[in-house]
Amino acid sequence: MFSRTPGIRRGRRNAAFVWLLDKEWRELIASRAYWVMLLVIGPLVGFSFISSVRTYAEASGLHGTSAGVGEAFSPLIGVWAPTFSACELAAAFLLPFVAIRLVGGDRQSGALKLELQHPMPAIGRIAAKTIVLVAAWVLASAAPLIAIVMWISYGGSVYLPELVTIAFGHLLNAGLTIALAAATAAVTEHPSTAAILTLSVTVGTWIVNFAAAVNGGFWERAAGYTPTAMVAEFQHGLIRLDVVLVAVILIAAGLVTSAIWLRLGIATRRRAYESLAAGALASAAIFISTFATASWDTSENRGNSFPEADEVTLRQIHTPLKLQVHLAPEDPRRSDLERRALSKLRRVMPTLQVDYISATSIGLFEQTAAKYGEIWYDLGGRRTMSRATTAEGVLETIYSLAGVAPPPENEEAVFRGHPLAAPPKGAATVFYGIWPALVIAGALIVRRRQL
Amino acid sequence: MLHVADLTKHYGHLTALSEVSFSIRPGEVLGLIGPNGSGKTTLFECLGGVLPSDGGSVSDGARIVAAAERWSILFYLPDGIAPWPAQTVRWALKFAQGWFGGSDLAPIIDQLDLGPLLDQRIGELSKGQRKRVLLAIGLLTPQPVLLADEPFDGLDLRQTREVAQTLRAHAAEGRTLFLSIHQIPDAARVCDRFVLLSGGRVRGEGTLAELSALAASRGAPRSSDLEEVFLVLTDARN
Repeated sequence: MFSRTPGIRRGRRNAAFVWLLDKEWRELIASRAYWVMLLVIGPLVGFSFISSVRTYAEASGLHGTSAGVGEAFSPLIGVWAPTFSACELAAAFLLPFVAIRLVGGDRQSGALKLELQHPMPAIGRIAAKTIVLVAAWVLASAAPLIAIVMWISYGGSVYLPELVTIAFGHLLNAGLTIALAAATAAVTEHPSTAAILTLSVTVGTWIVNFAAAVNGGFWERAAGYTPTAMVAEFQHGLIRLDVVLVAVILIAAGLVTSAIWLRLGIATRRRAYESLAAGALASAAIFISTFATASWDTSENRGNSFPEADEVTLRQIHTPLKLQVHLAPEDPRRSDLERRALSKLRRVMPTLQVDYISATSIGLFEQTAAKYGEIWYDLGGRRTMSRATTAEGVLETIYSLAGVAPPPENEEAVFRGHPLAAPPKGAATVFYGIWPALVIAGALIVRRRQL
Repeated sequence: MLHVADLTKHYGHLTALSEVSFSIRPGEVLGLIGPNGSGKTTLFECLGGVLPSDGGSVSDGARIVAAAERWSILFYLPDGIAPWPAQTVRWALKFAQGWFGGSDLAPIIDQLDLGPLLDQRIGELSKGQRKRVLLAIGLLTPQPVLLADEPFDGLDLRQTREVAQTLRAHAAEGRTLFLSIHQIPDAARVCDRFVLLSGGRVRGEGTLAELSALAASRGAPRSSDLEEVFLVLTDARN
């Protein structure tokens, strides 16, 4: 009998994991893909920040333009949503290559054959890669962080909960990209195949969004969970539990799939069955998660909520409310109704049931049809019809149907906005000059220090 | 003793290994020799648990060692890889030591003359230099059996002799080595026993004398030349 290598003890396991983290980090900073991402993300964020601050300033009265309406001046919508949208671009088109390089590089170089002869489970190895990639993303997020610091230096208002929400949303989005890229890199033999697959999935989610806009129904519900829709909600300061759960499940599914295919010495058929089982489990978990109704509006202007007094009144209505909306998916009135009223109403009345009825997708030729444009309200058998698609119109109809008095308007609770007529001074120098110079210097220093 | 029994591997309709059986004895240097395409690398990958086999078993004494637990006995050193190309040799050796929990670095660096290469990136090394680094990684690992695929590939004559000496020294300290060797003279120089593989089948197993006797039993003249024995035993007509 041969003497066996002792089984891996906890202390040894932790030490091995630290070695793995060190190795993944070194591989990350040795990859040109990561430095290119860092190089590009600064100017991308800078361009969005400079444009949005300039527009915000002009609307606030800079250069003699007339000041806009105070309520419109929410830094979340006016500055942070566009500034952080640069991160969405980076997550969709740059981060996948960094992740694929880190996961697929081991297979390409043959290092995988050596490293996998260690008893650490494949999920531990994927965890190390994920930790390093998330750290890489957090480091790249220094660009929007600099934008926040500059905004404060201009005298801009910052509301921390909405900033944390938007950053969290983009972190989840990056997590989705990392998990997807890790899965494709592990399943495919070559990084270029993995890149094509990853981008195909991204394009696929856009097709789902398009199908939702045209067809509504199931597609509309599915589109609510695409990365684009998810990020859009976070960018409006809304945290929906179901969206967070679905994102976390998808991330876990991607990483587990990656771990399944990263292992060597396992027959392809077995790995395929294991992947299918993981996919089935994830699908079931996603289905259950879609029933979660909790949500939190972290925006300073309560852009995702009715006024508090209205919410209190609506919560007192316990009878189930059903709406029958005769509007086509592409009719702008339908998106107005959804955005301005129903999305807010669902947060207060989780049992709200909405049925959309239309014969066509654009509704253009249905305008003369009987009932088209009508919104029928049914509250415990009492029915009424309205054509209003504004929040005020919807609330008025519900109060009237429920026989409750509308709450008095609270002028003090109205968000007055934070106008700021300041130009983005120095931002171009920082994002187009200093940032790229620092990244290039960093890349050179790291390359030299690794020797 | 490690016993490999009826190991079989198919690639679609192609049979790469057909009921391969042999033994590995503790402390020996066993050579796997065979012509190109005979299944040497496939055999190593199946033994190392890197490739799934379609049948057969590996047992240590009476106990079957499943593919998932081969790491506790075997370490497989593949040929033709360039792991962590952006990292230095120094880091790679330290990583191998830390990751696999291996032995002392200094003697192995000395034995394989890696001192001058320590601060070079692996991706920038020549084939022979990379081979020596890989061998160092293999020798650092704690598993009692080391499977090395083509350990002399890319080395010049002097280096081949020095590496052979190093491998023998490690075997003398108790490490069991199973080496897949393309060049018969190299195999003859370093190995105690041989497994002859051809067409995915084992054509003979034993010391040179035993293989020579086997060849003689098939009508060939007795020879102490491994090349001659190899040619007789791997001849498809025999």
